[in-house]
Amino acid sequence: MSALPARRPQPLGRSIGQVGLALIVAFAGIALGAGYWQVIRSPDLSRAPDNPAVIAAARNVVRGAITDRDGKTLASNKRNPDTGEPYRVYANRAFNTVIGYSSTDFGTAGLERSWNAELTGVSARDPIGDLLRKFRSDPYDPQKLKLGISSALQRAAVEGLGDDRGAVVMLDPTTGEILALASTPTYDTNAIANPKTSRDAFAATLDDASHPLVTRATQGQYVPGSVFKIVTAIAGLGSGRITPNTTFPNQAKAERDGLLVKGFRIHEHPGVPAETFDLNEATEWSSNIWYALAGMRTGGDNLSSFAGRMGFGAPLDFDLPTAKSQVTTGDGSAPGGFTDEVELANASYGQARTLVTPLHMALVASTVANGGILMKPHLVIATTGRDGTRTIANEQLSVVISPEDAAAIAEAMRRAVESPVGRQFTTGADVPGISVAGKSGTAELGGSGEPHSWFIGFAPVDHPRIAIAVIVERGGRGGARAAPLAGDLMALFFKEFGS
Amino acid sequence: MTVTAPSLPRILGPIRPRPRGRETRLLAIVSITILVGSVSLELAKHVADPGESKGLSPANPLHLGVYLGLIWLAHLALILSGRRVDQILLPATSMLGGISLLLMERLPQTAVVQEVGPWKLGLGDIQLAWLILSFSLATALAVTVRSDRWLRLYKYTWAAAGVALLVATYVFGDDINGQRLSLSIGPISGQPAELLKVILVVFLAGYLSEYRPLLVEESTTVGPIKLPPVPFLAPMVAMWAIALGLVVVQRDLGAALLFFTVFLSLLYAATARVGYVVLGVVLFLAGSFVMYRLVGTVQTRVDIWLDPFKSPSGDGYQVIQALYAFARGGLIGTGLGAGLPTVNGNLPIPAVHTDFPLAALGEELGLVGVMAILGLFLVVVERGLRIAASAADDFRALLAAGLALVIGTQAMIIAAGNLKLIPLTGITLPFVSYGGSSLLVNGIIVGLLLALSDRGVEPPPPRPRGRLARWTGRVTRLETPAAGRAPLPPGASSGAVETRP
Repeated sequence: MSALPARRPQPLGRSIGQVGLALIVAFAGIALGAGYWQVIRSPDLSRAPDNPAVIAAARNVVRGAITDRDGKTLASNKRNPDTGEPYRVYANRAFNTVIGYSSTDFGTAGLERSWNAELTGVSARDPIGDLLRKFRSDPYDPQKLKLGISSALQRAAVEGLGDDRGAVVMLDPTTGEILALASTPTYDTNAIANPKTSRDAFAATLDDASHPLVTRATQGQYVPGSVFKIVTAIAGLGSGRITPNTTFPNQAKAERDGLLVKGFRIHEHPGVPAETFDLNEATEWSSNIWYALAGMRTGGDNLSSFAGRMGFGAPLDFDLPTAKSQVTTGDGSAPGGFTDEVELANASYGQARTLVTPLHMALVASTVANGGILMKPHLVIATTGRDGTRTIANEQLSVVISPEDAAAIAEAMRRAVESPVGRQFTTGADVPGISVAGKSGTAELGGSGEPHSWFIGFAPVDHPRIAIAVIVERGGRGGARAAPLAGDLMALFFKEFGS
Repeated sequence: MTVTAPSLPRILGPIRPRPRGRETRLLAIVSITILVGSVSLELAKHVADPGESKGLSPANPLHLGVYLGLIWLAHLALILSGRRVDQILLPATSMLGGISLLLMERLPQTAVVQEVGPWKLGLGDIQLAWLILSFSLATALAVTVRSDRWLRLYKYTWAAAGVALLVATYVFGDDINGQRLSLSIGPISGQPAELLKVILVVFLAGYLSEYRPLLVEESTTVGPIKLPPVPFLAPMVAMWAIALGLVVVQRDLGAALLFFTVFLSLLYAATARVGYVVLGVVLFLAGSFVMYRLVGTVQTRVDIWLDPFKSPSGDGYQVIQALYAFARGGLIGTGLGAGLPTVNGNLPIPAVHTDFPLAALGEELGLVGVMAILGLFLVVVERGLRIAASAADDFRALLAAGLALVIGTQAMIIAAGNLKLIPLTGITLPFVSYGGSSLLVNGIIVGLLLALSDRGVEPPPPRPRGRLARWTGRVTRLETPAAGRAPLPPGASSGAVETRP
């Protein structure tokens, strides 16, 4: 009997208890999962446009109206005399790339899509209110939306773009309120919303070769050209690698023509004198070589990370769908995701693989204008429902650079608009009686044809109240189309809102 | 040996009623809750369409009356039987059944329609019929089962029957949605995998209780891992193979996951050895990985789970719609009957009555309701494990634990699947989902648990001696000391322990 086991099996009760404990832990995990979907994710999932509750409500509910910042109605409702179902009517074509459409048969676009749940009243972005709402006999509470957009500016921007394709974004740099968000071409949202014409109108809009359904201001990805130099300046000053007094020879003596970076030759525009520039002069002259050298000294990692602070690299969180802006595709092995020094040097003055949305360039101007602090851009400034009006709070998105660095860049941008040298490139951007800061851009697209015409800026320089970005596709040099349009729109702003 | 041959269960003893006060009180609460739920369902209809509704009244007084009557009859039967069986299980499960009845009445009745003679039965009618059968079966088992020998002595017979059922399903089964799960005999069709759950637990309880001392004691060391003696690895591998077979042959991921989880839980309960569980989980993960690579169904399910929003109107539709339903419910829900918005007359979640009842209830009863339902399942499991812990011998303990774990694990798998915590598998939420096979088997489980909970049940037979002699002599020596653990029947001599050379 020496082989007798040394221990006997323990009583079953204990291990059964342990199995029970494991099951309780698993159930607790499931309860947490239920809490995640039903409490934490509930607000955004309940608003999803393809949520059946949202779709069902959209058919029968009279959607909330949409107004501009002065309360002027932009979207209202009529009833179909045949079916009695309500449908949308839009007051002004200039707004339709912002507001979009709501159609029984073709769904929603624009703000009608992103704010669908509030407009139909199935959700109010207010957890407590949503909870109380369930105890009512009529649970749907369509909200009215008030936009920060000024009708006067919006119309003027669309008219100013005229038959050209392009975009204008104007915002208050201190609050992030969007005052104008124009994209051309526009399209006929009334025809899509009206059940009698919707089928043909929707097909025609889809077939339109100019792609009006792409809201250029937020979804257009453009080569920025020289307006991107402000991003380079922000990264250079923000990282401390560059100061306002840092100088580079615009034309190195050793190299007779332009700047040779690892075998790639960067050229200056014709007419730029071969001198040594500091930040102000380089910005006035829009020197490619100075900014290429500044960008290389700043380094790819700093350029990427400061751009990242302004939201480059991912779609912006905004009322409308946004495309992402990028400094580089980010798959290179050099610091910051660049392929090599050549790409970094070219990106520093807005070529290479840089791509930006007009909204994003307006935010870059806005960051400089607001002392280095980027405010979250927003279109809707208030919602009004049964229980009164809720104001959408202003939100700070990030602190990008210090107020001193922002002031130095602002001064350089002021000289780019107001100095005798700068004025040559930004003709028409100035506003009588108001000091304006800005930067023009001429985005070379390669091949033949006119470049894109860019301008970003803000005013007044001391206490900025308006920041702007303008792009006119194939509009020529920055000073040709974008700068004068920006000047006119800023002048109109001060006329409308007082100087 | 004075052990008598196994006899058929005695049908009814002399009637000596024994009051069951706790069950009475709990059932009163259950009845009131279901009544309130039913009235609230009717009120929701009233708000939506005042012309079509009676206002303040139960939604379907006949259904409600029949169901509550049935529950109270079951209660009465238990009182009259005079047995000391558990008083919590019936209220907990009848609450779940009541919730199920309310849900099936609330869903469009046209989801399932069967014509039986002159009657046209809808979803609620059919579910009520199955609930009646299920609770009748549970009560009948609770009242009549007074011996476990018919389960204990024929474990290999049961196992063979189970495998036969599985094979029969594969050979003669009907294909539904690419799965071959149901078997038709004349007009009646059922899903044998449901019954297989019980058979599996009976076999495992028998096998593990018999070889438990060996499994605990002996080990083969492979590197740092201690394995059971090689011959006893066979059932583990067999279970693994059956689980994988279910996936490959029947595309029934849910049953496979359930079987394997219950098997591992019981193995741990019997041996308290973490090594077995680790080994089992490793086997499971390896099997899962191979299945993911080889079986399209598995891959689709996992891919949907990883990112349902990749194709929100295609493969991911059902899962996303369920998440939307949970989200619409929020903390307190929309109220019974006020959720599940229809689109073009269709319910938002396909197969909501079988695969997603928790999502529907999550929407209409909110997080609070989901917690309550999960809590009810935990109560059922807790009662089952309590019965197991105080059982008279290992077989009964493992049987009760296994039966309780089947319900608990199944609820866990489908609830987690509904909530996108694990890939979705098409198994039922016990007592709540629509489905006859599932309800009947759950009835059997509750009936057996109730019967096992009676401490007055016939004492377990003595451990059959010498059976292990079929294995090696070394094994026989090990078996001996543990043999005295089981209480011996009055007739057996305590000196009967023998050691074979």
